[in-house]
Amino acid sequence: MNNHPMITRIRVDYSKGEALRFTGHLDLQRLWERLLRRTRLPIRHSQGYHPRPRLNLASALPLGFISDAELLDFWMDESLSLAEIQTRLTNTAPPGLIIHSVVEVDLSEDSLQSQMIASEYEIHFFDDQEEQLLSKQIDILMSADEIKRERRKKTYDLRPLILYMEVIHSKKGGIVLRMRLKAEPNATGRPDEVLDQLGFANTEYLVRRTKLILGER
Amino acid sequence: MTLQKNESLWRKVERILPSVTKPGRYVGGELNQIVKPWDSVQTHVALVFPDIYDLGQSNLGLALLYDILNQRDYIAAERAFSPWTDMEAAMRQANIPLFSLENKRALSEFEIVGISLPYETIYTNFLNILDLSHIPLYSKDRNDDHPLVIAGGQAVYNPEPVASFVDAFVIGEGEQAVLEVVDIFQKCESGHLSRQELLSQLANIPGVYVPSLYEIDYHPDGRVANIHATHPNASLPIHKRLLAELPPPMTNFLVPNVEVAQERVSVEIMRGCTRGCRFCHAGMVNRPIRERSIGDILTALRQGLDQTGYEEISLLSLSSSDYSQIVPLIQGLHQLLCERNVNISLPSLRIESFSDELMDELQSLSPGGGFTIAPEAGTERLRNIINKPITDAEFIETVRSVYQHGWQTIKLYFMIGLPQETLEDVQGIVELSRAALREGRQAVGGRAKLHVGVSTFIPKPHTPFQWATFTPPEKIREKLAVLHDGLRGAKIKMTWNNPEASLLEAWLSRGDRRIADVIFHAWKIGARFDAWSEHFDLEKWQAAFSAADLDPNFYITRERTLNEILPWDHINAGVKKSFLAQDYQWSVDGRIRPDCRQKCYACGILSSFGELRLAAPNGGWKCP
Repeated sequence: MNNHPMITRIRVDYSKGEALRFTGHLDLQRLWERLLRRTRLPIRHSQGYHPRPRLNLASALPLGFISDAELLDFWMDESLSLAEIQTRLTNTAPPGLIIHSVVEVDLSEDSLQSQMIASEYEIHFFDDQEEQLLSKQIDILMSADEIKRERRKKTYDLRPLILYMEVIHSKKGGIVLRMRLKAEPNATGRPDEVLDQLGFANTEYLVRRTKLILGER
Repeated sequence: MTLQKNESLWRKVERILPSVTKPGRYVGGELNQIVKPWDSVQTHVALVFPDIYDLGQSNLGLALLYDILNQRDYIAAERAFSPWTDMEAAMRQANIPLFSLENKRALSEFEIVGISLPYETIYTNFLNILDLSHIPLYSKDRNDDHPLVIAGGQAVYNPEPVASFVDAFVIGEGEQAVLEVVDIFQKCESGHLSRQELLSQLANIPGVYVPSLYEIDYHPDGRVANIHATHPNASLPIHKRLLAELPPPMTNFLVPNVEVAQERVSVEIMRGCTRGCRFCHAGMVNRPIRERSIGDILTALRQGLDQTGYEEISLLSLSSSDYSQIVPLIQGLHQLLCERNVNISLPSLRIESFSDELMDELQSLSPGGGFTIAPEAGTERLRNIINKPITDAEFIETVRSVYQHGWQTIKLYFMIGLPQETLEDVQGIVELSRAALREGRQAVGGRAKLHVGVSTFIPKPHTPFQWATFTPPEKIREKLAVLHDGLRGAKIKMTWNNPEASLLEAWLSRGDRRIADVIFHAWKIGARFDAWSEHFDLEKWQAAFSAADLDPNFYITRERTLNEILPWDHINAGVKKSFLAQDYQWSVDGRIRPDCRQKCYACGILSSFGELRLAAPNGGWKCP
C-alpha cells in the first residue's frame, strides 16, 4: 500500500502538558485517534469492522510525566498543505496538548519507535533541595560500575541506561536535575527509577521530558 | 483580581495523586469541560455522581444538567465524583475535602450541591460525599452557611429512605426544574431570606419535594399511618415533573482523558414505554412515551461526533424497536456509519416487535455483534402474570430468525423470584434456554452461543407489583440451583445477581423515612460502594438494622394490603395507585394488558398531565 501516490505521512511535534499529566500511554493513543477524527482530515484508517486512524507514537511517556517534545506520525489518503493540517490539529487539540510543528516524512522511513536512541528529562522538586548533597549523591551514582535494580520482577542494571546527569539552577530559583537516558527497545531508562535510587518518592517531584533523540543505531 | 482555581487545595492534591490508582479521575481538564472564573457567576452548583468518575462521567443525565446549567452565564456547574477507596484514604490523611474537577473548589464552597441518585445501592456513597465535603449529613443539622443539598434521579421516586439527608428533591425530569431551583435560590439569596424560607419557596416549584415540610405518622406495628404536610406550600401529592416534549438532544459531550465505562455519542431517541411490564419501574415512572424526530436524532449524532471524535454511537431508550420510525431511522444511521467510519452499539430490543425487515437492517448495521432478548420468565403462564405475553412458539421463532439472520451469540435475560413463581417456571427457563441453543445449532452449527443472565426480582415502588413480597436469598438460591442443575453440560453461559445484593436493593428501594438511620449506621461502620461486589458487605447492613432498632424483614417479606398507606404514596409518578392496584389484580387473574399505544387504559398520565400535553402540538407525545 505504501506506493500509493496520494498517501502521505505526517510527523507532529507536540507538548503533553499538565492537564494530560495523568493520561497514560494507551489513553494518549485513544486521545490522538479521537483528535484525528475531529480534524475531519482524510486520515488513513486501519482495515476491518472497527477501523481506527493509523498512528505511531515515538515513545511511551510514563503516567505523571509531562513533555515539551513528543513525536507522532499519522498517515493521510490525500495530501494537504502542512499549514492546513497544523491549523486543524491545533483547533481540535484538547487542553494540555500543544501542536508545535508538522512536517511530511518519507513513507519508507523506519517507525519512530525504532529510531529512538535517548530521551532527556528535567526533574523539578516540590520541596527545596540541598544542591551539594544532591550533587554528591549523583557523583556516587555515576561512579558506580553497576546499579542492580528490580522492576516488574526482573533484575536489570540501571547504570548503563544513564547517559548523563547534572544539577542545574532553574530560572525560578531552586535546582533542577537534568538527565539523558537511553531509550532503545529493551534498553530504556526511566527517570522515576533513577529518582527512586536517589531516595525520592514519586510524590516529591515532577518529570518533564525535554527532548527525544532519534538516529541510527 | 478574578479568583479561579483554589491553588492551595490543588497543591495538596497534586502531591498525593502519583500515589493513587488512576489519578486521571481526579484532575478534570477534559475537552469540552466548562470552567468559568469563580467570581464571574452568582451561583455555583456542584453536580455529584456518588460513584467513581469512570461511571459518573458516562452518565447522560448528569451531562445533560451540566450542559443546561452552564448555558446560563450566571451559573457555574462543576462536577464531583466519589474518590476510590485509596484516594479517599489519601485525602482524609492529607485533610483534603472533596473538590470539584473544574475550579478545584471544596464542595462546601458551592451554594448548591446536586446529587444524582440513579439507584439505591449508591446511598452510602452519597453520605460519604457529604462527609468528605464537611457538610452535615442530616438536613436538620445544616444552617445558612451550608450548601443546599438537592437530589434527583430514578431512585428518588421513593425519596423516603434518604429524605433525612436531602434538603429538596426534584422528582421526575429535571431539565427545567433545575433552572427554577437556581432562580428561586437567587431570589431568596438577594432577599436575605432564611434557609427555612428558601425551602418553603422551593416547595412551590412543580416536582420539588421538601421532606422537612411533611410529617409521617406510624402505626405501632411500623406501617405508615399518615403522611401530612406541615406547611401551606407543601402540596400533597407531589406530582413528578414532566417535559411535554423532548428538547433537541445534548451534544456537548466531555471527552475524558482516561478510560471510562462508556465512551460514545449517546442520543436518547425516546422516553417512556407503553408496554406495561408489571415488574418494570422505568416503564411505569417514565410515562408517557415521547419520541424525538429522526432529523433531531441524526443531527445530534453528527454534532456529537464532531465534538468528540468518538468511534461509537448508541441510541438510548427503554425499548428502541418500539420507536415508531425505527426502520427509516436505521437507514439514516447506515449512511452516518459509513460516512464517519464509526460503529453502533445496539440497544435493548423487544421480541414482539421484530419484523424480518428490521432484522435485516440491524444485521447489516452491526455485523458480528450479539443480540439480546428478554423473555424475563420461563413459562407462558408467568409471562402473562408479569405482562410480557409471548408464547414459547413465538419466542423460538424469534430465536431461529435471529440466528438465521447471521447473529451467532444471543443473550437471554430472565428474572427469578417473581410473584406467583413456582419451581416449574424456573425449570421453564432451563427448557427455553436449551431449546434456544438447539435452534442456534441448527442454524449456524457449533458457532452458536447462548448466554443467560438471571436477575432477582425486586418489587419496586410505583409498579403494579409494589404490594408483592421480595423472595428471601435462601429461596433465591434454591431457584438458582435448579438453573445450575438444569443447564449443566448444556454449554450455556449463565450469570446471575448475588441474592444478598438484591436484598439490600429491596430494603433501600422499599424503605420508609426511618431507613435513613440504617443507611447512616451502615456508612458509619464503613459500608461504601455497595453496588460493587468486592465492597458489598451484608453483615454491615444487618448490624445497621440492629443499631437502628428496625426489623429488616418488615420491609420485604410482608405482602402489603391494597389499602395500606405505602411510604411513597405522597409521590405521584404519573400512574395512579388505583390503576396499579387494578393491574396487580389482573396479574393474579393472569390477565394481559395490551400495549397502550393503540388504546388508552387511563393509567393516570393524561388525567394528571393532559393540560401539559396541549403544549406539545408536534406529535412527539404518543398517547392515543
